[in-house]
Amino acid sequence: MKVDRWKRYFANLTPVIGLLVLMGAFFVIGTKEDINITYGLQTIINQSVVVAVVATGAVFIYTLGSFDISLGAAVAVSALMGAISYNKTKSILVMFLVCVSVAILISLFNSVLASFFNLPVFVTTIAMLSVLNALVLILIKINGTGSQIAVPADAVMDLDSLGVKLTVLILFVIVCIILFNFTSIGRMQKFIGGNATCAKLTGISGSKMAIVAFAIAGIGVGLGAFLTIIYAPTLTKDTASSVGMDIIIAIVFGGMPVSGGARSKIYAAVIGAFSMTFLGQIMILLNFNSGIGQMVKAAIFIIIVYIASSNHKNKLLPR
Amino acid sequence: MKDSGRSMGKRLVGILAIPVGVLMIILILCGAKGIRLFATEGNWIAFFQATATVMITTIVLSINLNSGRFDFSIGSISLLSSVISASICIRFGLATGPMLLISIIAGAVLGLCSGVVYVLVKLPPIIISLGITLLYEGAAFTVTNGYGVSFVANNELVSFPSVFNYIIVIVLCLAFAIVVFDHTKFGYDYKALLSGQKVAVETGIHEVKNAIICYTIAGGMMGIVGFLSATNTGTIQMALNFGSISIMFTAFLPMFIGGFIGRFCNEKIGYFIGALTMAFVSLAYARLNVHSSVQQIITALLLVGFLIYLNNEKVIKNIFGFRKRRAEKNYEV
Repeated sequence: MKVDRWKRYFANLTPVIGLLVLMGAFFVIGTKEDINITYGLQTIINQSVVVAVVATGAVFIYTLGSFDISLGAAVAVSALMGAISYNKTKSILVMFLVCVSVAILISLFNSVLASFFNLPVFVTTIAMLSVLNALVLILIKINGTGSQIAVPADAVMDLDSLGVKLTVLILFVIVCIILFNFTSIGRMQKFIGGNATCAKLTGISGSKMAIVAFAIAGIGVGLGAFLTIIYAPTLTKDTASSVGMDIIIAIVFGGMPVSGGARSKIYAAVIGAFSMTFLGQIMILLNFNSGIGQMVKAAIFIIIVYIASSNHKNKLLPR
Repeated sequence: MKDSGRSMGKRLVGILAIPVGVLMIILILCGAKGIRLFATEGNWIAFFQATATVMITTIVLSINLNSGRFDFSIGSISLLSSVISASICIRFGLATGPMLLISIIAGAVLGLCSGVVYVLVKLPPIIISLGITLLYEGAAFTVTNGYGVSFVANNELVSFPSVFNYIIVIVLCLAFAIVVFDHTKFGYDYKALLSGQKVAVETGIHEVKNAIICYTIAGGMMGIVGFLSATNTGTIQMALNFGSISIMFTAFLPMFIGGFIGRFCNEKIGYFIGALTMAFVSLAYARLNVHSSVQQIITALLLVGFLIYLNNEKVIKNIFGFRKRRAEKNYEV
C-alpha cells in the first residue's frame, strides 16, 4: 500500500523530475562544451515563453476533454493584426489590445460555432486552422511588403527583455491558477472533463463552460501573439507555425492527461514548454542533426508521458 | 415491388446527390469562364491521382478514428515508407512494381510498430501518434540527410501515373477494404469493438490483436499513398516538426461526406464517392486558377457547412417539414 503511494507520488512528479534532469543535463553538457550558459538560458526562456503562455490558457480547453489545433495559427493572425495596427497608430498599447482582442474573438468564434451548431470542437478547429492559415497569407499580401509585415525593431526593443516576458508569463499563470484552482470555473471544467453527462445532470452548462475556456485560451493566445512580435518583430507566413503542435506536446509533456478532468493542472503547460526547449537545446549542444534530435525527443517524450501516466492504466486500450 | 423500387431510387439519389450536385456547380462555374474541366490527359491523370490518394487516406483515417483512436502519424508513415522504397529502388535499379510492394511492406511494418507501441504503453492513441510522428519524420530526415529523395530523371520510376493504373489502385484498395472490414471475422470483431468496447472485450474479442491489425492495415495503405505521391512528382520532400500531418486534413471532408453517403450504401464506397467529389473540387481549383489561400477557405467553409448540416439534420428537416406541412394545410383549406 505504502509502495503504491510512493509510486503514485513519483509518477505525479515525473514531469517535474524530467525538467530538473533536463536542466541538469543542459548545465553539464553546456559547461563541458564551454558555451555561454547565461546566454543559453536567455535563449531557452525566449523560446519557451510564447508556448508556455499559450499552452497555459489552452489547459482550460484540454480540461474539458476538448482539443484546439488552431491555436498556433490564431497566434499568427493575432500577431499580424497587432503589427498592422501598430503600423497604423504607432501605439504599443493599441497593438497589445488588438492582439488580445483578435485572439479572443477567434477563440470565441470557434466555441460559439461549435456550441451553437452542436459541432465537434476538434473538427471546427481543424476547419479554423485552414481559414486562419489562409488569412495569414492574405494579411501579409494585403498589408505587407510582399512576404512579411514588420514592426520597427526599435519600437519594441525596450519590451524585448526577459523581465517583461517572465512578468507576463508569471502574471498569466497566477491568474489561471486562481481561476482554475480557487473558483467554480475550474471546478466545473474539471467536472465536465471527468464526466460530461454527470456534470450536465447537475445543471452545469457545457456550452457556457466551453465559451469561458475558449475565452481564457484566447487571452493566452493574444499574450503569446504580443510576445511573438516583441521577440521577432518581422512577421512572415512561418510565424508561430510550430506553436500549434508545440502546445499539445508541452501540455502532455508537463503531465496533463489529454482526456482532461480532475487530473488537469495549470503548471503542466509551463513545465512542458520549458522541458521541450531544454531538450531541443541539449540536442543542439550534442550536435545531433535535426532528424536524430527529433527522434531522441520523440523517445524521451513517450517515456516521460508513459511514466507519468503509469498509475492510470486501464484493462481496456485507451481511446 | 413498387416500394422496393422507390427505396432503390431514394438510395441512388442519396448516393449521387452530392457528387453530381458538386460536379454541376463546377461545370457551370467552368462554363461561365469558358474553361473545360477535363481538357487534357493530364487533367484526367490529376483527377484520378487525387481520387486514389484521398480515398485511401480517408479509409485509413476512418479505420482508427471510427474506433476513437486519433492517429496523427499516418502522414509520417506515408513519408517514411516512400523514402525507404524509393531509396531501395534507386540503389538496386528496381521498377515501379517492386517499389509499390516495398512501400506497402514498409508502411505495414511502420504501422505495426505504431500499433505495438500503442498496446504496450497503453497511452491515449493521440499521444502515441504524436511521438510516432516525430520519430518517423526524424527517421526519414536522417535516412536522406535532410535532402529528401529525387528520381525525376528515372523514367522507370516516374512511369506509374496513368488513368488506368490509378483506377486499378482505386478498385483494388476499395475491394480490399470492403472484404477485410465487412466480410471477415476480423471485420466483425472490429465493428463489435467499435460499437461497444467493454462488452466486446468481455465477450472474448481480442482487442489488442484487432488494434494491431488495424494499425498494420492502415500503415500498409499509407505506404500506397506514399508511393502514389512520390511517383507522381518524382520527389519526396522532407517534413519535420509535424509537417507531415497536413495530409490527414485532406481526408476529413471526404470522410464526413462518405459517412453521409454510407447511409445509402457501403461506407467504404461512400468514402470513394467523397474522395471523387473532392477530386472534382481540386481539379476545379486548378482549372479555375483559384489562389491557394482561397482554396483553403472554401474547403474549410464546405467542411463546416457540411458538419452543420450533419449535426443539425433533424432540426433542419423539422423546419422544412413544418413549412411543407403548413403549405399542404393551406392548400387543403
